[in-house]
Amino acid sequence: MTGLAMPLSDRRTFLKGLGVLGAATLVPGCATSSKSPGSGSAPTGQVALQSNLSSEQAKAAMEKLVAAYNKTGGSQVKLNTVASEIFRTQLPTYLTSANPPDVYTWYAGSVADSYAKKDLLLDVSSVWDSMGNYSKAMQTLSTSSAGQKIFVPTSYYWWGMFYRKSNFAKWGVTPPKTWDEFVAVCKTIQGKGIPPIGIGLGDTPWVASAWFDYLNIRINGAPFHRQLLAGQGNFTDPKVKAVFTKWREVLPYFDPKGKSFPFQEATSALLAGKTGMFLIGTFFADSAPKDALDDIDFFQFPIIDPAVPVAEEAPTDGYFASKKVQDVDGVKKFLSWLATAEAQEIYVQNSSGTAIPANPDGKSADTPLVQKGKAMIEGAAEITQFFNRDSSDALQPTADAALTKFLDKPDQIDKILKDWQAAAEKVFKA
Amino acid sequence: MIRRVGYHVAMGLVSFLWVAPILWVIVISFRSFDDVAANGLGSLPHSFTFSTYKSAWEDADEFRALINSLLVTIPAVLLSLGLASVAAYGLARYSIPFRRTILLLMLMGNLLPPQILLIPISRFVELIGYYDTLIALIAVHVGFGLGFYTFVLHGFMRDLPREIQEAATIDGAGPGKIYSAVILPLTRPALAALGALSFTWIFNDLLWSITVIRSGEKMPVTPALLGLQGLFVSSWNVIAAGTVIAAVPTVAVFLRFQKHFVGGLAIGAVK
Repeated sequence: MTGLAMPLSDRRTFLKGLGVLGAATLVPGCATSSKSPGSGSAPTGQVALQSNLSSEQAKAAMEKLVAAYNKTGGSQVKLNTVASEIFRTQLPTYLTSANPPDVYTWYAGSVADSYAKKDLLLDVSSVWDSMGNYSKAMQTLSTSSAGQKIFVPTSYYWWGMFYRKSNFAKWGVTPPKTWDEFVAVCKTIQGKGIPPIGIGLGDTPWVASAWFDYLNIRINGAPFHRQLLAGQGNFTDPKVKAVFTKWREVLPYFDPKGKSFPFQEATSALLAGKTGMFLIGTFFADSAPKDALDDIDFFQFPIIDPAVPVAEEAPTDGYFASKKVQDVDGVKKFLSWLATAEAQEIYVQNSSGTAIPANPDGKSADTPLVQKGKAMIEGAAEITQFFNRDSSDALQPTADAALTKFLDKPDQIDKILKDWQAAAEKVFKA
Repeated sequence: MIRRVGYHVAMGLVSFLWVAPILWVIVISFRSFDDVAANGLGSLPHSFTFSTYKSAWEDADEFRALINSLLVTIPAVLLSLGLASVAAYGLARYSIPFRRTILLLMLMGNLLPPQILLIPISRFVELIGYYDTLIALIAVHVGFGLGFYTFVLHGFMRDLPREIQEAATIDGAGPGKIYSAVILPLTRPALAALGALSFTWIFNDLLWSITVIRSGEKMPVTPALLGLQGLFVSSWNVIAAGTVIAAVPTVAVFLRFQKHFVGGLAIGAVK
């Protein structure tokens, strides 16, 4: 294990350092606009699309998408795919450079807004004129705090408690709906000698945030959750502590091995029947062998307090454009096209297929799993995204630290929450 | 006898420990995705396939990435060693005023952690209009290598006997001729050792390539390997195969210059 894990974690920490540096370029003093001579002439009719979708299938889907657009005439789009890890750390550098790429793949909500606040994003309100059929939630996610539309959502996915149908049948359990039923299911599975709840936190500690998010929106509701993540709440609030009290009820059912391997290995464990259930986003299906996919199903995170309006996590992906684009009309035309059902279907059909088009008229993959996920999201009273997307990439590490510590030493919850609040305050003040 | 056996057993175990991760990567590179996904990375192989190498080569465009890497590495090595040897020649063989200061100044640059220069370099490269070009990457590598290479070559050239140079001067050779016909041939062991070392350093660099290059098709092989990782899910078998391919040039250089590698470590060790 260590053979590959060691250089990997080295790379991670190194890239993390790079990310900090990338972020530093956002500091106004550093972000001097260096003008490059010789690049002054506006590229006529070319739109540069910087994509972080570097995995084989997603990359191929993007190539098909761009090829389809280029056939429609207008400005030609040039796709440039870079490794997602590089993209994440270099995005601030791209946006602040003198001659930045035009359009970027990225996430909706406060992460996009954090760039809009620094005045780096193109106002795409006119693109939204043709997007009247998009849901209210999508509109809100794409609006900056200054009230401009800065983002064009194209797809979303959902989180759920995934399991193997055959294993649930073998263990004689049915998907629970309420918290009490859920605890009962955990007990039964543990009785068979299987750790009921899988998790993978080594190298991917952010997976634990899904539990925090869901418990918080089930117990305290989505508005409280959003305020807390926006810095208007306090992590030492008794309401936050209630989240962890609930979490402790099921802590004995977590796979003890889950702290040591990343979520991809946790997926293998679930599929091999070494764990019972796994709270994860649909992207995990990419790491499942094809023959196992038909056997996979999910259930909604159990309801804890029926009085709280049901909220679900649906991270939304899409595009934004740099403020410095030269071919503004070409970029807006491209973004308008990306917002159409037709374009989103091209992407969904050619990628791994668990993403759902953001355009309500777009058809998602026809599998029962996707239909069920789509119905769950559409039936939700409130939508949240995910911890980092609802707050910022800077707040995520504070959650990782706090939640990992909680899983290790649940007795120290008061101290952990105090430390978390202190760390979060630093982030919000920065 | 027992001591010798014990020594070999113990050292064999230590070597195995050292080689094990590499062997493990090679084993993974021959496993199919479904095998890795179903049984986990740590399990014994249940499948055997060459398709991982094919997808690393074609889908990840590793061929182009390798070409890019060589387009950067070879000129950068030649240029930095060429410039460093000229500088070292001047500093070592002629009493240039403040030569100690110059040398220390050049070495000082190497003591700075390169990370703090990331933003200045990326802005500067953009300012002069070479952002996102391989030329910028070569320039960065030459600039960063120069100080250290000059320092090492200076130490080596300084110890060459003075009489050889004097004899050449008496025979009518000027500084240029002495450099090319006398000093450079004598410095060959040091140049070979540095060449082999700098080749691996530049070839394996990741930091600078992602700092000055933005386009996927211009990326050298190290960031291209990173590109095999998906946003969430990574095909570790393909990454392992890509890693094995990417290691070939450096291993080839190592095998070819093996004895200089060891020699290189001892340069300047004994005065």
